[in-house]
Amino acid sequence: MSTQSIGIAAGLAQANDRFHAARRRQLMTLVVVVLVISVLPLLVKDVYLQNIMVLTLMYTALSQSWNILGGYCGQISLGHAIYFGIGAYTSTLLFTKFGVSPWFGMAAGGGIAALVALVLGYPFFRLKGHYFTIATIVVAEAALVLFLSWPYAGGALGIQLPAAADNWANLQFGRNKLPFIYTALALATITWLVTWKIEDSRWGYWWRAVKDNPEAAESLGVVIFNSKMAAAALSAFFVAVGGSFYAQFVAYIDPDSVLNFHFSLLFALPAVLGGIGTLWGPALGAIILIPLTEFTRSYAGGSGQGIDLIIYGALIMLIALWKPEGLIGFFVRQPKPLPASADEGAHS
Amino acid sequence: MTKSIHPTLNRRTLLGAGAIALASSVTPALAQQKEVLIGAIFPLSGASAQVGVDAKHALETAADIINGNYNFDLPAGKGGGLAGLGGAKVKLVFADHQADPQKGRAEAERLITQDKVAAIVGSFHSAVAATISATTERYQVPYFSADNSSPSLNRRGLKYFFRAAAHDEMFTVAMFDFLDTMRKRGEKVNSVGLFHEDTIFGTDSSNAQRDTAQARGYNLAVDIKYRANSPSLTAEVQQLSSANPDVLMPSSYTTDGILLVKTMSELGYKPKAIVAQAAGFAEKSLFDAVGDKLDGLISRASFSLDLAQKRPVIGKVNEMFKARSGKDLNDNTSRQLMALLILADAIDRAKSVEGPAIREALAKTDIPGEKTIMPWTKVAFGEDGQNMNANPVLLQYLGGKFVTIFPESAAIAKPKWPMN
Repeated sequence: MSTQSIGIAAGLAQANDRFHAARRRQLMTLVVVVLVISVLPLLVKDVYLQNIMVLTLMYTALSQSWNILGGYCGQISLGHAIYFGIGAYTSTLLFTKFGVSPWFGMAAGGGIAALVALVLGYPFFRLKGHYFTIATIVVAEAALVLFLSWPYAGGALGIQLPAAADNWANLQFGRNKLPFIYTALALATITWLVTWKIEDSRWGYWWRAVKDNPEAAESLGVVIFNSKMAAAALSAFFVAVGGSFYAQFVAYIDPDSVLNFHFSLLFALPAVLGGIGTLWGPALGAIILIPLTEFTRSYAGGSGQGIDLIIYGALIMLIALWKPEGLIGFFVRQPKPLPASADEGAHS
Repeated sequence: MTKSIHPTLNRRTLLGAGAIALASSVTPALAQQKEVLIGAIFPLSGASAQVGVDAKHALETAADIINGNYNFDLPAGKGGGLAGLGGAKVKLVFADHQADPQKGRAEAERLITQDKVAAIVGSFHSAVAATISATTERYQVPYFSADNSSPSLNRRGLKYFFRAAAHDEMFTVAMFDFLDTMRKRGEKVNSVGLFHEDTIFGTDSSNAQRDTAQARGYNLAVDIKYRANSPSLTAEVQQLSSANPDVLMPSSYTTDGILLVKTMSELGYKPKAIVAQAAGFAEKSLFDAVGDKLDGLISRASFSLDLAQKRPVIGKVNEMFKARSGKDLNDNTSRQLMALLILADAIDRAKSVEGPAIREALAKTDIPGEKTIMPWTKVAFGEDGQNMNANPVLLQYLGGKFVTIFPESAAIAKPKWPMN
């Protein structure tokens, strides 16, 4: 063995160590963040602020789920409202028609959404780039129209969740927001952990390879079609779980309030704003975006002059111009260059 | 506050500043006892923003009537403020729901817990009213539905839901009562054609119309549901044209209504008669755009300005509203204005700003029709919170303005039939 190749091996081992140390740090950060958020609602008693916490955590989870397909696998879907709607309608219909617990409905909705994602993925993943995105928009709009015309699911009138006993089994809590905050926090944590796990798994590497250069990935043995299908199913599953949660939280759904195009945008926006294809991007984006939407609407929206929307739009534009790679750019340290020997080795 | 004070300030100015700060922190607390806060949740941005802005003008006009020293023979219309609460003034807190049920719910919660509003008025969209009223029920604060027309709202067993105006089924009954009358006069009114959008409004409206038409022996010549905000209605209008019903009954919002009329004109289809479920066909902007093609159109309404001839107070209220908004009162704004007056009257009688007390007072409401600006016989709520005495009227667009043609007790002109 030459000294040079020993140098490469050492360099790679060092990089590997550093990578795993960074991953452990990420995990520690998560623990701290989750602890802080768990304590927060005990200090902040205002239900309006608690409501914003629920929404922020919910959109963190939803955007994190979207990020699996859109960020890591690079398949930009603007039709994820379809999975959100499937989740919301599955648990609500099961609950109102058959008295099935929303927890089971959540899992069922997730499963159905994952199946739908696979069925849709079969033709759609033959499309590339913008054509794929357009197809996702179209199919979500079609779902909206279908649900509007489906009397069993309440049609345009929607479904009001009947007030059942306030407990965990029914996922209803009257005025109490704390259980919703913790459920949403659990959802956000689980999606984060899944993403974290994926980052260092075979799928994770395949997905990023598919995103960066599909042709090169394929030449190295990555099965592109299967990669996309797996990412889509996983992403759809968690978005649908979020949809069931939303239905329980609002206690009323109609096609326009769960299948509307603006939801598809709201899943993508936090990830894009915070840092697409990153672990903390969706959370960061949601923490900025959701309170901003709520506060501007509540405290400037009453004028009827759209001031809230102007502020909201201007801030998004500012961030996009200032940090096009996302807000995560403020936090990420530039990686130190690898030892010289490894560098030379890599180039020779 | 103290941080921003310049270091060279002497002690006296500092004390002065402190005193002012103290005074300003005390005044709101004192003022609060003289104010009754009422929340108003409407769409103030998005596609229906104009409705919300008009609602704001209507409610502010109503607040003027309550707070100012007028001598109107209306609920809460005499004297300044609410006598039952020592002359307390009504103050409105507006919130925007952006037509999103989730946001409506969150805003209701905020107004109740942060602003401590005594009651909430809303909300134009029935889907949003569903979540607002579920929230107000939980907090035991009355929700006064000003202009939601879905009949499902008062069928949920809510104790804190009240609606003084008619819902779609009551409107539909009035429309068919009118058709029955025309039949008795010997006009040929055998078939109706439904044309409705696919959201909650069009669905509720067409369901009621379909049932009533069948129950009263009208032939359903055509029944078209179209996608709201559709870019083209050509195929739909062709269907209407070939079926050519004796009466066309559209349930459409403004932009769809304009597109419908334009498309009918382009395709040369002249319906024999139109009896519309208000909405877009009550909006000034629709008549500004295509009014010339609609001479003889009939629309149901909650309000008729013609009534001002019999009840001068309506004219005065309309002038006050017009000074604010530049428009006459219409179907929506009249209901919004009236809602706040009825609510204020109940708070006045309750002598309290507590939800349960206001609820009790609302349940005991008994206001004769002459004391409103509406063509109603009276305001009294049933167990479900619905006022069943909110008689609608039918208006016909003749020579560039609306005249009341039905019922006969309110009519000032004979209907032009058929319109084309």
